[in-house]
Amino acid sequence: MAHISSLIFITGGVRSGKSSFAERKAIEIAGETGGRLNYLATGVATDAEMKARIEKHQRDRESGKYRWNTIERSVQMGEVTDNFTAQDIILLDCVTTLLNNELFLSETVWDGAFLEKVKENIITGITAIKNQAGTVIVVSNEVLNEPLLGNELVFTYGRLLGQIHQYLVKEADQAFLVEAGIPIVMKGVGR
Amino acid sequence: MHFITGGAFNGKRAWVKNRYKVQSDDQWLSAYVNNPLPLIIMEIDQDVFILEGAELWLRALTENYDADKCREIWNECLENWLTWEKERQNRQLIVIGTDITKGIVPMEAENRLWRDVTGWAYQDIAAKSEKVDVIWYGVHQTIK
Repeated sequence: MAHISSLIFITGGVRSGKSSFAERKAIEIAGETGGRLNYLATGVATDAEMKARIEKHQRDRESGKYRWNTIERSVQMGEVTDNFTAQDIILLDCVTTLLNNELFLSETVWDGAFLEKVKENIITGITAIKNQAGTVIVVSNEVLNEPLLGNELVFTYGRLLGQIHQYLVKEADQAFLVEAGIPIVMKGVGR
Repeated sequence: MHFITGGAFNGKRAWVKNRYKVQSDDQWLSAYVNNPLPLIIMEIDQDVFILEGAELWLRALTENYDADKCREIWNECLENWLTWEKERQNRQLIVIGTDITKGIVPMEAENRLWRDVTGWAYQDIAAKSEKVDVIWYGVHQTIK
C-alpha cells in the first residue's frame, strides 16, 4: 500500500534548542501515529571525549521515557533505508555533520565532480529514507549569515550547505527556524 | 525600492528573478562580477532594475573611508537611486544585500568595520525602502 511520508526541516543557531524541538516533534508524531522512534546518528568519534559524549547521548535516548532506536551512519545515508518501514519516524541530526563527513572522510580532491557527488549523496540519501519511512525530521545549522569570502574552503562548504538547505526546504512539508528555543514556522502548518 | 536580504546561498537571486519576472541581463548590475558601486543610475533605461551584492560595495567603501563617511556615501547613493525610481511611473529598484552580520566577532579590524558598516547600511536602506524581504532557503518573509 502506498503511504504518505513527510519531511520536516529544522534549523537554528548553536544552542538554539533546535535538537530538543526536533526530539519533541518526533515524540509528538510517534504519539499520534504509534510509530517507532529512530535516531540517525551522524557523529564520528574522533577522540575519547567525543566517544564518551556520543555514548551518553545514546544512553539518554535508550533510558528515557520514550525509547529510541539508534542507527549510526556517518556517510551515504541512502544505505540505511532497508531498516525502515512506513511506521518509522526518523530524526537525522544534523546535516552539517553529514556534510563534514562526506567532504572530509574520503580525502578526495575537491573538484567540481566530487562536490556535486557529495551534494547528490546527501540529497538522494535523505530522499530515499523519506520515501521508505513515515516521517523524516532533518536538523541543520544556521551558519550562512556571516562572510564566506577570503577562504575558498569555507565558501565551497557554504555554497553546498545552502544548496542542500534550499532543496530540503523546497521538499519539506514543514520547515522551522528555531530562535532562542522558540520555533518559527517558515513553511507549512497553516503559513 | 525593495530591499532583499538573507544569508549567503539562500536563493535570493532566484527569488528576485521569479518575483519580478526578470528577462534580461540588462536589468541586473552585480557586484559579484566586479561592477563598482553605482553612485548614479539615471542612464539606466529600464522599469525594473536590480542591484546585487550590496555587501561587497560596502566592503569596498570601508577599504577607503571611515564608518561615517561610508554611511554618508551610501545614503547619497540611496537618494540617487530613489530619484531614478521616481522619475518614471511603475519603476522598481530592487537591491540585494547578503547578511554577513551574525557570525563571531571577526579578529581583524577591517572585517569588524565591514560588518558594522554593513549592519548600519542595511538599517538605512530598510528605512528608505517601501518593502523589505528576508529570504530563507527560498522562502521569503516580508518584514516591511
